[in-house]
Amino acid sequence: MKYLGITLERPKIGVFGFTGCEGCQLQIANKEETLKNLFNSIEVVNFREISSDGCDDYDVAFVEGSITTESEVTRLQKIRNQAKILVAIGACACLGGVNNLKSRFPLSDVVKEVYGMHPVDTGPVRRLQDVVSVDIDLPGCPISKSEFEWLVRNLVLGIKPQFPQYPVCVECKQQLNSCVFDMGMMCLGPVTRGGCNAICPRNRFGCWGCRGHSEEANFESLMRILRERGFEDEHISERINFFNAFNGIL
Amino acid sequence: MSKPPDFNRQTILMQSERGFKSEIIAAIPLTAKEKLFHIRICDPCERENFTFLPGQFIMIELPGCGEIPISISSSTSNKEFLALCIRNVGKVTGMLHRLKAGAIVGIRGPFGTHFPMEKMTGYNVLLMAGGLGIAPLRAPIYWANNHRSDYKDIIILYGAKEPEQILFGYQFEEWRTIYNLNILTIVQKADKRWPGRKGIITDLFGDIHIEPDNTFAIVCGPPVMFKFVCAHLSTLGLPRQRMFVSLERRMHCGMGKCCRCNVGSTFTCLDGPVFDYWTVMNLKEAI
Amino acid sequence: MLFKTITKENFRNMIEGIMENNEVIGPKSRDRDTKGAKIYRFLKLNSFDELEMDYTRSYSSPKNYFLPFKEDLATYDLRDTGWEQEIRYTIHPRIIVGMRACDINALLKLDQVMLKSQYPNPYYSARRRNTVIIGLDHEPLEDCFCRSMNTDTAFHGFDLFMTDIGEKYFVAINSDTGYMILNRFDSCEVGEEDQLLYKEVRGRIESKFKTQVDITIVPELMDLEFESDVWKRWGDKCLSCGSCAMVCPTCYCYGIEEDIDLNFDKATKRRFLYSCNLLDFATVAGGHNFRPEAHIRLKYRYYHQFRGFVEAFNQSLCVGCNRCGKACLAGISPKAVIDDLIGTEKR
Repeated sequence: MKYLGITLERPKIGVFGFTGCEGCQLQIANKEETLKNLFNSIEVVNFREISSDGCDDYDVAFVEGSITTESEVTRLQKIRNQAKILVAIGACACLGGVNNLKSRFPLSDVVKEVYGMHPVDTGPVRRLQDVVSVDIDLPGCPISKSEFEWLVRNLVLGIKPQFPQYPVCVECKQQLNSCVFDMGMMCLGPVTRGGCNAICPRNRFGCWGCRGHSEEANFESLMRILRERGFEDEHISERINFFNAFNGIL
Repeated sequence: MSKPPDFNRQTILMQSERGFKSEIIAAIPLTAKEKLFHIRICDPCERENFTFLPGQFIMIELPGCGEIPISISSSTSNKEFLALCIRNVGKVTGMLHRLKAGAIVGIRGPFGTHFPMEKMTGYNVLLMAGGLGIAPLRAPIYWANNHRSDYKDIIILYGAKEPEQILFGYQFEEWRTIYNLNILTIVQKADKRWPGRKGIITDLFGDIHIEPDNTFAIVCGPPVMFKFVCAHLSTLGLPRQRMFVSLERRMHCGMGKCCRCNVGSTFTCLDGPVFDYWTVMNLKEAI
Repeated sequence: MLFKTITKENFRNMIEGIMENNEVIGPKSRDRDTKGAKIYRFLKLNSFDELEMDYTRSYSSPKNYFLPFKEDLATYDLRDTGWEQEIRYTIHPRIIVGMRACDINALLKLDQVMLKSQYPNPYYSARRRNTVIIGLDHEPLEDCFCRSMNTDTAFHGFDLFMTDIGEKYFVAINSDTGYMILNRFDSCEVGEEDQLLYKEVRGRIESKFKTQVDITIVPELMDLEFESDVWKRWGDKCLSCGSCAMVCPTCYCYGIEEDIDLNFDKATKRRFLYSCNLLDFATVAGGHNFRPEAHIRLKYRYYHQFRGFVEAFNQSLCVGCNRCGKACLAGISPKAVIDDLIGTEKR
């Protein structure tokens, strides 16, 4: 492959999963119509979902899931040492995600509730960046395939990808959606990073903040708006803590 | 001297939407971060018809990567190629720095206002540049050299951070001896090997004599420099309408449509980038 | 200007006739708000019954049919060191029914920038020239202040403009296309009674404006009150979400992005509408942001609307539809901000 005379290298990639639902990994293997082109531009050397073969000679590691056990820490550190670029994919890896629910209760209660008579050694939920240095966060729950492909194109070209800094509202208005607030629903769109084409509000479902907060989001103003509209703090708290994207605003 | 604007519709479309295919014929490293690109419009007819005035800029496009505004650093009489001095700071400039001679890029333009060189006839011209600000000054310097008898004294004051960051230093001797320009440079930081002056550009005012009634000034550099330099020139009695500055803003279109370069009540791409200092004072937060 | 009348039944026939072979856009409702009121938007109509002739206000303006939120400007075939560029701006004609006078005036303002300036915009021009506009009068809503902005009536910029006079529509004709369309379906000459009814309706509409915004000295105030804490106060509320600019009928700020496909042999140059309220609007390469604070960005939106545009074209960019005020969750409306700036807002 060449771009304006520059020879482009096919990066060798590995895809790895930690604590999570594997939905983000599945997204990468999804969408047959572009899969052929995708594999033309990258060389997959380690990806359990598409091949049982695997080697550790990769340049870019896409890592899904949050970190909850010590063995995961060791495995992640090994990946970090190998990869030139480490990309956290999905809300679990970037934010802690839904798994973070666990951190709201005493650990012993959680272990007892989930594992009963067969307890396992599990710790609090951590984001990848709490354990190793992360080069790129690819947000979303799950990640979007088109955004993943966009990221791959940037990596092949050697460009640092720039994610939208603006909130979901921009793209929501561009879809000509009715504002879900007008329909009485709560929405975190005004403080959540855009780039998802407002897929939830488009389907009349308020935003839950899976992509993390937008740059310099105005939380005070949003809290004022939510309370003025009669949402209870308990309800608000449940929403903003869901993906662990807005720590400490309520 | 300057050609009247061409309002032929085809030309406007050429300028505004369709890029001229242009070939990079040379990419010359100047410093660690700056390269000088020589770019030639591929089509000989388009190349012949492409004219610009000192201080104008073009949009340079790498298809699939992006498009950025760059001021033209070559002589208006150079029909062979355009020289663009580009610092590696972002996505597009980073990619440009990787390109080799032979790569094809797109250019649109020229856009924007120019330094009114014809108005300066019969006057002294004081050109002041800070850092990369020397790039847009190269076109007016070439112009002045080509029309040397039109102007009285020409003084160039150039301030850089370090000696290694001085751009086009290799040309200074030629400009001094052949065209009789007075060029003074100053750097902020330097070790003992630097024989010249250390300090900021306003320190150089002590070394020159300015006749406020008889001088035009052109200033290019970071916004903070405009403030100090223009304030100093004002106290000397130089009318603000005879001081010209070139502003930098984010630009996406170059045609006064995208509003990204909005400054005060106007747009940098249409009413600028060259403004006289009186206008700058009137524009909110211009500097 | 020529005038005619058309019965409501014939109007229906007319729209259905047009619809057979053309794309027709009109106000449609899909959702209801918490009070049960319909929320309208301009969308493609599949039948006449979807057209809501008694709609109040569309949530978003129909500007996206002239300045799409995303639009491909050019495509490129990349090969080795070079490329070929292809630019297309041919579009299929379409008809927009039910545009308000303020929206038509908004287009006239956009025409100033996009058609009548130094660099005409061919993409906008193609859409503008290939769109038939059938306007529709309405009684002002509580918060409409188009009267103050001098945009409550439209004298040009449309093909047909209709006023409901009971049994019939009173139609102003402003183009040959409009004249031809109307003549193909049964329209009548204006009778004395129609004229009386029309005057009565116009009078009623004019008497119903409740909201006024005095902008006489606003251009000067923008400079005089540039450092005012009014901006800080409203800026603190601002979410910097860009909703105001997206729903606005005249905001036209945009950005350009380029994209390349996975085979690295095709590229696209795309325009996307942006908003001066968004954080990175004025960030240059290297990271310097000329407008890092929300209140400064908010101020510049007003500065452009009520000062910059006035300087360039002798009119405000704002048309007084208050869509931005409605869409803003933080309750920032032009009326409130300008009253605050003038000092008449009750605090």
